[in-house]
Amino acid sequence: MKTLIRTLLVLSILGTLVIGSSAQDTEISLLQWSHFVPRYDEWFDAYAAEWGEANGVGVSVDHVNFTELFSTLAAEIDAGDGHTIVEVLFSPASFIDGLHDLRDINEAAAAAHGERASTCEAASYLPVSDTWYAYTHGYVPDPGDYDIALWTEAGYPDGPKTYDDLLEGGRAIYESSGIPVGIGMSPELDSRMANRAAIWSFGGSIQDESENVVLNSDETIAAVKYLAQLQNEAMTDEVFGWTAASNNQALIAGEVSYILNSNSAYRSLQKIDEAAAANIGFTPALAGPAGAYASSHVWQIYVIPKYVEGDELAAAKQFILDHTANYSDVTYHSELYNFPCLPSTVPELDGWLEADPWGSEPPNKFEVLKTVNDWSVHLGFPGVTNPAVSQVFAESIIPNMVAQVALGEMNAEDAVAQAHERIEEIFSEWRARGLVGGGDM
Amino acid sequence: MGPLRLGNFPLDNRRLIGALFLTPALLYIVLLVGFPFALSIAFGFSDVTVGNTDLSFVGFRNFLAVWENDIFRQVFETTIRFTLISQVFILIFANILAVIFTQEFTGKWFARFIFILPWATPVSLAMIGWLWMLDTKYSPIDYLLLQMGLLGRGGLLSDNRNLYWLAAPDLAQISVIFVQVWRMTPLATVILMAGLSSIPTDILDQAEVDGSRFMRTLLQIKLPLILPIMVIALLFSMITMFGDMTVVYVLTRGGPVDYTRVLGLYSFQVGIEGGNLAQGAAISLFAFPLLLAMAIFMLRTASRAEVR
Repeated sequence: MKTLIRTLLVLSILGTLVIGSSAQDTEISLLQWSHFVPRYDEWFDAYAAEWGEANGVGVSVDHVNFTELFSTLAAEIDAGDGHTIVEVLFSPASFIDGLHDLRDINEAAAAAHGERASTCEAASYLPVSDTWYAYTHGYVPDPGDYDIALWTEAGYPDGPKTYDDLLEGGRAIYESSGIPVGIGMSPELDSRMANRAAIWSFGGSIQDESENVVLNSDETIAAVKYLAQLQNEAMTDEVFGWTAASNNQALIAGEVSYILNSNSAYRSLQKIDEAAAANIGFTPALAGPAGAYASSHVWQIYVIPKYVEGDELAAAKQFILDHTANYSDVTYHSELYNFPCLPSTVPELDGWLEADPWGSEPPNKFEVLKTVNDWSVHLGFPGVTNPAVSQVFAESIIPNMVAQVALGEMNAEDAVAQAHERIEEIFSEWRARGLVGGGDM
Repeated sequence: MGPLRLGNFPLDNRRLIGALFLTPALLYIVLLVGFPFALSIAFGFSDVTVGNTDLSFVGFRNFLAVWENDIFRQVFETTIRFTLISQVFILIFANILAVIFTQEFTGKWFARFIFILPWATPVSLAMIGWLWMLDTKYSPIDYLLLQMGLLGRGGLLSDNRNLYWLAAPDLAQISVIFVQVWRMTPLATVILMAGLSSIPTDILDQAEVDGSRFMRTLLQIKLPLILPIMVIALLFSMITMFGDMTVVYVLTRGGPVDYTRVLGLYSFQVGIEGGNLAQGAAISLFAFPLLLAMAIFMLRTASRAEVR
């Protein structure tokens, strides 16, 4: 009997040790960008460490420049080893075969927190394969940033509301002060977003809801003609060579009257010169003949590569769900840069937009963002963001098409037809892989 | 006392020592050049994406699709044009500088040190420096031109305050070629300097005794003698430039429109950023037959020149 008791005692101790060590052995690692707001990274790293301690999981976080996220993810999937969770800023639809289906946590989050912003769902769900290849927890609005003094003098105290206002007012300001409008037409991120916004608002788009290429339309041609006219009459040629930082720099230097950007340029200015920052106002997406749409600036999208398994996978999913549940902190510490995909997770948001907790003057500067979910769309709008849409984005086909017309090298009809042809090729490639709908499918 | 007898020392074996010396270089080539190259061929003939690296064979489908792509054809033409134009300038400048740096003058070592910096500086850092120099709005070059009255209202070069180095199609192309020449010239110069230093002094003494002046010695003796080395310098420079994407990735990302988009950059944009790894690989492989033919031709030329 004694022997039996001793044996059971030893086994129970060993069992406890094994279970204990197994819980402590679980480790997850995250790869994400060095956030535009440094204080966000400080908060996030501390939060991740605390979460790890509370859940008996080792957590490490690596931050890299956002341009390295896709190439690192590609390398890690190819190697079959790497970070547990990778946060990318644009839809990773082309990685779908190497990623876990995250339907369970997407559904769990929706069940717990309610409706999801459409811009987020379209950046993480692929209908043609019925797969939730990602979990988008946040997005960044892309409103218009305008110089209040200049636009007031031009007769638009609340800034431009429509594309006609932008042309008329922007031209008047440029002629009187030499300060141009700043819509990029270069192969870089902000130009790709801004040019798409105009095309959507004029009624054009790259694809329809069924993922058929429909770029070559009268509406797209009208938008391209408009953008070329805007460039010729209210902008300088510098926009053909802009980088993603150029419009921020120009706004901070007071050398543009209007740009399309996240709050990043404004927040930078706020830290340098409060009076100049007070002179910056925000507008929602400009209205065109077919509506008012702007792409979200970026998205915060978590993916878990397929090489992650077992306890590590379970811990990663738990981390993501808990992070969502703490989204008030995320939005706050990002200085209202990250907006929640699940709006109910940040009940304070409307109050913060009415009275910016980070000291804007006037305090309600961001109030226009209350309507953001009415006009903020995603890259594949009105369809989903599929791998073909991502490749079109990567190749900068849209800003190059616009720039060709603005430079006077091609007429709008030919430029749009040429871009349409290349986009059809890309869609066919991905459709053949079964990752894009439409066509004969 | 009989002859000293040495035991069998393994390193006396010429075959063994040869193999030992070659092994690191071979390993380097196989692991860091051969394997990625074989992988890119496999990718080019398959249907891989960034998310799915299963190699399912699709024949020449990717290559045909790439060739039918108008953007690719323009990119290919741009790459060849940039490479050829750059090489002309690199060759001219490298020859001039190699001759200067093989002469004796005060401060030669410092001048050489300064001159090698463009090659020794990490390319990405150097390009960020050039990005600032050529900034569309805050370029110090534009500032100097403005101060000299060449820019601005009534300026000789432009009425604008900026030339838009990286935004105007012609200037953007000139800028990229200029920066490539700036970056590659030191390497070519160093190679040519080695060639000039290796010319036997008795030949040069003989020429001097025969009354040959500087230009005649240079054109009829030195340059023909270093021709094989010049061809090698050119080959290094061409291959490096043909495959480079860093310069345009940092400076222009291929813009304005597609004016400065080169093969390396387009391959990266399609393959990694766009996720279509198979087509990205196919795009990069298009350079291979051309570079191979060029290398064979140039090495043969060098070999013939050496024999003569």
